Amino acid sequence: MRAPRPPASVLDHAGGGNLLYVLPGLLIYALFVFVPILAAVVISLTEWNGLGVPAFIGFTNYINLFADNRFYVALGNNAQFIVFYCVIPLIIGICLAGIISVVKQRERLVLRTLFFLPYVMPTAVLGIIFQWLYNPAFGPFNQFLKAIGLKAIALPWLGDFTWVLPAVGAVATWYFFGFCMVVFLTGMQRIDPSLFDAARVDGARGWQSFWHITLPSLMPEIRVVLLLTVIASIKSFDLIFTMTRGGPGNATLVPNIYMYQLGFQLNRYGYAAAVAIISAIVVFAVNFAIHQGMRRLDRTTG
Amino acid sequence: MAVRSGAYAGPALPIRIILWIFGIVTVIPFGLLLLTSIKSKPDLLKGAFVLPAYPHFENYLNAWVDGHFSTYFMNSVLIVIPVVIISIVLGLFTGFAFAFLSFPFKRTIFVVLTIGMMVPTEAFIIPLYYEMLYLNLINTYWVLILTQVAMSMPFSTLFMASAMRQLPVEVLEAAVLDGATRQQVLWRVIAPLLLPAVSTLSLFFFIWTWNEFLLPLILVNDDNLRTLPIGMLFFQGKYTVNTPVLTAGAVIVIAPIVVVYLIFQRKFIEGLTAGASK
Repeated sequence: MRAPRPPASVLDHAGGGNLLYVLPGLLIYALFVFVPILAAVVISLTEWNGLGVPAFIGFTNYINLFADNRFYVALGNNAQFIVFYCVIPLIIGICLAGIISVVKQRERLVLRTLFFLPYVMPTAVLGIIFQWLYNPAFGPFNQFLKAIGLKAIALPWLGDFTWVLPAVGAVATWYFFGFCMVVFLTGMQRIDPSLFDAARVDGARGWQSFWHITLPSLMPEIRVVLLLTVIASIKSFDLIFTMTRGGPGNATLVPNIYMYQLGFQLNRYGYAAAVAIISAIVVFAVNFAIHQGMRRLDRTTG
Repeated sequence: MAVRSGAYAGPALPIRIILWIFGIVTVIPFGLLLLTSIKSKPDLLKGAFVLPAYPHFENYLNAWVDGHFSTYFMNSVLIVIPVVIISIVLGLFTGFAFAFLSFPFKRTIFVVLTIGMMVPTEAFIIPLYYEMLYLNLINTYWVLILTQVAMSMPFSTLFMASAMRQLPVEVLEAAVLDGATRQQVLWRVIAPLLLPAVSTLSLFFFIWTWNEFLLPLILVNDDNLRTLPIGMLFFQGKYTVNTPVLTAGAVIVIAPIVVVYLIFQRKFIEGLTAGASK
């Protein structure tokens, strides 16, 4: 999105009155969002237990962070979560959209409503619900596995070091795939139907026209979906917090959970702020990288 | 995709059956939630997929009264309504300014607003907490209302400004020629024309505010001020063993969202995808 060019409007009066339209919203925003953002940067350069006066220590927090093993574990887990937050929902979403786009309208609307439902839910509550669904003793998920004769794999999902990350990730996939599908479905409606007719004349079959027409045409949607889901995975907190609190051990620790533990449990606010700032920088970097990468792709393909 | 010679025939029956199974599996967690919320504890032991002998609606009463969900529900309502209204009104003002007016530092202010849209709340929750502590706002409705209004400002502004820029210029010019003041143009001409955009935005703010977790988790620790998702979390901590009442509570939290979603889903999905493709 680019900054809007000031349009010459009949409503534009020179003079002080214009600013009055911006000030109320801007003041609230500045007070409760922007000042805290700036303060977070400052706090990250201090050592502070939340009570006394913050002691300025320069970049020490950041230097310590780069030698902090738990931080790398958190980053590594986050990288694995990206598979569940972005890659799998994107693939499921695009395939589903391809299939569902040729289903009759009314049936399509009902299916869309079902697939999209998880996305409107509060993720914190979903976390609590899935904690119960996954419960090893009385959870419905393991009861189902036992009922169909798969007792051997009825694991204590959220307590298992190997399986906890995929188990939490699966909930994220379930949450996001309907959203991905809906965005792709809208994108497909934009594609000129005559392209498909032309492809059919050229002898392209279903999969070929999907691969050569639908997929390239959906590049803008793929970029948006990638952007939103990657950022959501870096920002992930609610779901993981309510399901595992980052455990067992550090198995589902991500930077935001680490930040919460450091700040609100260990009172190391300066260090916690440094973690938060690094996450924010990663969000910016990913945003930039996806924009750049997609632009290069646009240029080579089209 | 089944593209045969001639017209699109639609996918074959097996594919449609798989689609439907997939659709139903997607919502099974909610079905289980509803089912469990009307079971008794002994029913629960008979298996997760077994129907209870008769529905135990008293679980809802337990959640509502003993589980304090009535308080949490009221708090959620009391916070969502002002957040939506104030965000929309302020968004109309700032959107109007960004769409039509010139003012100093317009570009800088725009950049400052977009920064707020990208930085995760987690990144500044610590200073926000201390600022609120300093302003004596911790454990008030105000802290939850004002912070969420502030966080909705960037999106509200961009959304409104882009909707206003799509309005036909002639209508606005005609109104000005007729001698309407700017306030009159904004409230009598623009606002009515923007009703679809306003209702989409209200829907977003309703759902986002209803679902918000981190802010009420950190900024409020008085049980009487907790909103539904946080209340649910602390309820779970206290009564882990009482699954039927816990699931009844979960239904209370998500029921309003489901109802609103089912009524307005077309509007919601169109608004979301329109916003996403910009």
